[in-house]
Amino acid sequence: MKLDILNALDSDSLLKELKSSSSKSVAASALAKLKVPNKKTEKYRYFDIEPLVTKDWQVADIAEAEPRSEGKKIVIQDGALVNSGDIEGLSVELAEFSDIDSEHFDGLYFLSHLMAKKAIVIRCSKDSSFEIEHIFSKEESLINYRVVILVDANTHVQAYESFSGDAKESFVLSGYDIFVSRDASLKFIKSHTLKQTQYTPIFTSRYKVDSNANLKLSSFDFSFANGLNIIRVELKESANIDASHLLYVSNSAKYGIVSEIVHEGKSSTSSQKAKSILDSGARGIFDALIRVQHSAKWTKAHQNSKAILLESGAYMASKPQLEIYIDDLEASHGSTTGQLDEQQLFYLRSRGIKESDARKMLILAFAHEIVATVDDEYLANKIYAEFERAYYGNYELDCIKTCDGCEELVLKDEQ
Amino acid sequence: MSKVLEIKELKAKIGDKNILKGLNLALEEGKVHAIMGPNGAGKSTLSKAIVGHYNVEVTDGEIIYNGKNIVEEEPEERALDGIFLSFQNPVEVPGVNNAYFLRTAVNARRKHLGLPELNAAEFLREMKALVSELGMKPELINRSLNEGFSGGEKKRNEILQMMMLEPNVVILDEIDSGLDIDALRAVSEGINKMKDGKRSFLVITHYSRILDYIKPDYIHVLKDGQIVHTGGPELVEQLEEEGYSSFEEK
Ligand SMILES: Nc1ncnc2c1ncn2[C@@H]1O[C@H](COP(=O)(O)OP(=O)(O)OP(=O)(O)O)[C@@H](O)[C@H]1O
Ligand SMILES: [Mg+2]
Repeated sequence: MKLDILNALDSDSLLKELKSSSSKSVAASALAKLKVPNKKTEKYRYFDIEPLVTKDWQVADIAEAEPRSEGKKIVIQDGALVNSGDIEGLSVELAEFSDIDSEHFDGLYFLSHLMAKKAIVIRCSKDSSFEIEHIFSKEESLINYRVVILVDANTHVQAYESFSGDAKESFVLSGYDIFVSRDASLKFIKSHTLKQTQYTPIFTSRYKVDSNANLKLSSFDFSFANGLNIIRVELKESANIDASHLLYVSNSAKYGIVSEIVHEGKSSTSSQKAKSILDSGARGIFDALIRVQHSAKWTKAHQNSKAILLESGAYMASKPQLEIYIDDLEASHGSTTGQLDEQQLFYLRSRGIKESDARKMLILAFAHEIVATVDDEYLANKIYAEFERAYYGNYELDCIKTCDGCEELVLKDEQ
Repeated sequence: MSKVLEIKELKAKIGDKNILKGLNLALEEGKVHAIMGPNGAGKSTLSKAIVGHYNVEVTDGEIIYNGKNIVEEEPEERALDGIFLSFQNPVEVPGVNNAYFLRTAVNARRKHLGLPELNAAEFLREMKALVSELGMKPELINRSLNEGFSGGEKKRNEILQMMMLEPNVVILDEIDSGLDIDALRAVSEGINKMKDGKRSFLVITHYSRILDYIKPDYIHVLKDGQIVHTGGPELVEQLEEEGYSSFEEK
């Protein structure tokens, strides 16, 4: 199936062609209007979308076998739920899903919904912490699926997302619809290393944060191949989002984040921070809009992007934007792109640390602020290790965090 | 007396500006040399030239250390070979853990000397002992390197590094500026403890006070990019009374 041919169809024909249920007519009319993106589509301007929408894809079938239910991990393989886990307070099931974000800016978000017959729906009714593992193994296919997370009112959840599998030359089109209900909170942590020979992912998601609810997003993308994360967030009254993104891109790949945070409710707050490290010929993308609507008085919105270019051929497309329709708010945005700090580098070297090690220390230090947003120490260490593996191959760096650990040990055995 | 570090006719510039103009200076083994001189004379530039700072371009002359000219050497090579500069203004390095940084540096030097590396626990035990000797807050061990440290805390952290790295030549660029009386005493005691009859010190200062604690063997007056006078400790008093104007440029 070629995706761009869908652009000739109106919404009814889209439903028919994609064999979607009529409950998704919202998505069909949105797609008919927005179209499947091409190289002229604004939100895709820094990315190579053309090859993905013009190729004739084999669409991967999604098996609906009964999933296992063991361990603390939900496992999804090539879009099929293979393990729903055994996690207290969580129900995981396949269901038709039609509560689609009609305001989304991304055509592929709607296409993905139209193509997915059922979504994997995770409902969190008690405080919990779990992992979702995505495995991609089908090669040269279009793997499309949707995941929904519902966090009930007053419930506090941490979800950690991990990835494995090669799925050479596939196109992964997926993403989340996440609902954080009143007075609830969700910490959502994503850590993804994408190798040179793997699939191209486009994760296109929406997050709805209800009044007084809190969403903390920490994303870690270490990429040697093209990929895009598309995010739309709605904030209701007194809702808050804290988004932090760490991006390492190498090998002439184009990878990044396109986001829109919409303040709908009064006194809602947002903070979005991106740090990007760009190596040989890579392009990092941070195309991020914060919109404050008329209804959103007394909001706070802060946005910042910092990038380090390690090679002269690297490039950062950093576009933080604020779109504000009211006066009564506190907002800021900024963007810097530069090299490693020469003074800091010299200071480390003047103590006998060789240049390559000093550079390494400074790069890890730059990343540190984002890793530190993960307060789960086990996960933070795991993410550090993943970053180091991505950046240095198998080169192992001595413990950073262990210093605190040893410190405690030393204190203890002296008491 | 054997000379550990010998600077011969050193000329150096920063940008287009000539700062060092044929400077001569020899540090003797086990001795304390002090350099005094007016603001902007080139004292910090000299210290940076010795450690290989990227801003300072040596255009002529030699810096002989252990019998070889080190002008072309990388900063880390000079450090590994035992040259240490306590900076006038140490930079802040957010995100680099102070203990982790220092352990990396100490182990790099130990490896260079053919000594076994220290593991985290051994290292921390030593570091903690020195931290308390220097009257530093223990929490500084696990903070980011110099980030948000007060002026005095940064200076003490420099001395801590010096004590852990055990260099052969120690250059202290205004280690006394911004220190309160207790800190000055603690830092001076730390420095004195490191005197072992072999290690040489170059103390750059504007004030005689620190020289009451760290007794210098020689005083050099640096003016307009040259050493214009060298004398014994008695010179301090003369400088205090007369200032630098009585010392003519060569
Ligand atoms: N990065 C720089 N760019 C331009 N000029 C510089 C730079 N660094 C130093 N200089 C100049 O070089 C000269 C010598 O400076 P240096 O810092 O060596 O003086 P100093 O003797 O250490 O003075 P102080 O006692 O004030 O510390 C000064 O005129 C100073 O302005
Ligand atoms: Mg100076």
